[in-house]
Amino acid sequence: MSTRKIPLPEIIAFFIVALVAILMFLPFLLTISTSLKTMAEVESPEFRLIPESFQWQNYADAMASGNWSRYFMNSLLITSITVCLSLIFNSLAGFSFARFTFPGRGVLFYLILIGLMVPEQVTLIPLFKMMSNFPLFGGNNILGQGGTGLINSRLGLIIPYLAAPFGIFLCRQFYLGFPKAIDDAASIDGASKWRLYAQIYIPSSGPVLAALGVLKTTHTWNNYLWPLILINSDEMYTVQLGLTKFRTAYGVEWNLLMAATILVVLPLLVIFLLAQKHFVSGVVTSGVKG
Amino acid sequence: MTKQKSKHHRLDTTPYFMLAPGYLIYFIFIMVPVFYGIYYSFTNYAFYGKPGFVGFSNYRYLLKDSLFIKSIGNTVVYTVFTVIPQMVLGLFIANALNKSFRTKSIWRGMIYMPNVTSMVAVSMIWLWLFDPASGFLNMVLRSIGQSGIDWLYNPDTAMPCIIVVGVWKVVGYNMIIYLAGLQAVPQSLYEVAQIDGAGSVRQFFSITLPLLKPTTFFLLVMNTIQSFQVFEQVSIMTNGGPLNTTTTIVHQIYTRAFLDFKMGYASSMAVILLFVIATATFLNFKFGGDTSDVD
Repeated sequence: MSTRKIPLPEIIAFFIVALVAILMFLPFLLTISTSLKTMAEVESPEFRLIPESFQWQNYADAMASGNWSRYFMNSLLITSITVCLSLIFNSLAGFSFARFTFPGRGVLFYLILIGLMVPEQVTLIPLFKMMSNFPLFGGNNILGQGGTGLINSRLGLIIPYLAAPFGIFLCRQFYLGFPKAIDDAASIDGASKWRLYAQIYIPSSGPVLAALGVLKTTHTWNNYLWPLILINSDEMYTVQLGLTKFRTAYGVEWNLLMAATILVVLPLLVIFLLAQKHFVSGVVTSGVKG
Repeated sequence: MTKQKSKHHRLDTTPYFMLAPGYLIYFIFIMVPVFYGIYYSFTNYAFYGKPGFVGFSNYRYLLKDSLFIKSIGNTVVYTVFTVIPQMVLGLFIANALNKSFRTKSIWRGMIYMPNVTSMVAVSMIWLWLFDPASGFLNMVLRSIGQSGIDWLYNPDTAMPCIIVVGVWKVVGYNMIIYLAGLQAVPQSLYEVAQIDGAGSVRQFFSITLPLLKPTTFFLLVMNTIQSFQVFEQVSIMTNGGPLNTTTTIVHQIYTRAFLDFKMGYASSMAVILLFVIATATFLNFKFGGDTSDVD
């Protein structure tokens, strides 16, 4: 067997990368290590990476300390509904902007571009007010009076995120690249615009939907500020809120806190490890090619 | 014939219906709140009761609010000291990673992982690392005979700690974007440079860096916007303390609006934030190369 001679710069680059990667990964490694120790070992002045004996029980203890199955169900529900519906809404709007000309298109699209400049924190206060006056929910009448509206509800965590200027923009850019001939051929065949979208455009939207889906999943699962404001009862908590609550209650029991942290991070990390390609291309499409 | 013509003239409403779900959500839950937010900033709105118009007095009060002024200073410090290391490290790692070796995607994954992790979880991890009593950092310090540091509880070290956390989370993102930028640099340029006898440092500064200018500009704007909105690790790790050394603009907005219920006043802070971020985004649109192809 012949060995390829590896040039020196490549070897140096390899060691730099490996060193940086291990340093970046170290906090995770230490977290896993702590999550498997007894509290006595966490507090002992002598540090060892491999725990004396693996305390898998910590994970069960951490989960038994709160209504965690409820938190996970809430997060799972909110994330999956938000991601699915937002993909449909964003791609439909982007498709309409990209493939048809209609009166008002220019103005409507510029309003989308303005929306790209708005940070989420700016809309929080009015949005909170709107949620409390949401008609016909939470005891409200049709005018939005009398009850609490969508405050402290899962729906209130979902609805504002179902469409975003960024998603609409990204889909439009993607669909602009399709040849016009597709539309013409389909209209000769008598296909309606809806069928054109559902049967021709959606099946070839893999890259943009994967990119958006990955970004939206990460954002929704990790969202903290809006749930912090909107949610005030334990049964509506997301995993992120659950984790902060856990910390207030068990703050110094680092082994349990680290175990809970790992469990909150795990679902997304697993998806990331399985679909690293999509994460990377998602970030790149949304960033550079926009 | 006439029938066909009249059909041609009728406005097809399908595109509007396709636009409707996404657009209405956007309009109602983003556009309308922005205008409401601007309106609230001129009122004494306190969530309960009707907002009363107070003119510019919220803004005048902002100028005298030493806590808000402090939070601007803190946010600027945070932004400068996260954005620069994030970009330099991101470029450095991307450059090393761009060399072809087989285990690339494993290392890339490890470096990108913090970016997938929620800021809440990231904060928990670093809370332990920084813990004065049993945290990892002090354990290392003590094992080499140093005394421990109070990290998040010390006014001098709290902000640097918050900054480290921010950098750790974002470096991977910058690396990915720079990697994409590097892959677009034609290999032939390096070959020509090599023939001309340019070393790898020289190549980096006269080929790589100039060609990555659009990427660098994009990241500069994106990182600045993101850093300006810093809130989560502050809220969880220090809650603005000690002695308000880590309170930031968004932390002030949150505190004033949702803990003090001074929503009119908090709205005026939000309008300032909107102004800064909209300007940065606008500059990106106007001068950023790739994202500016609007019709």
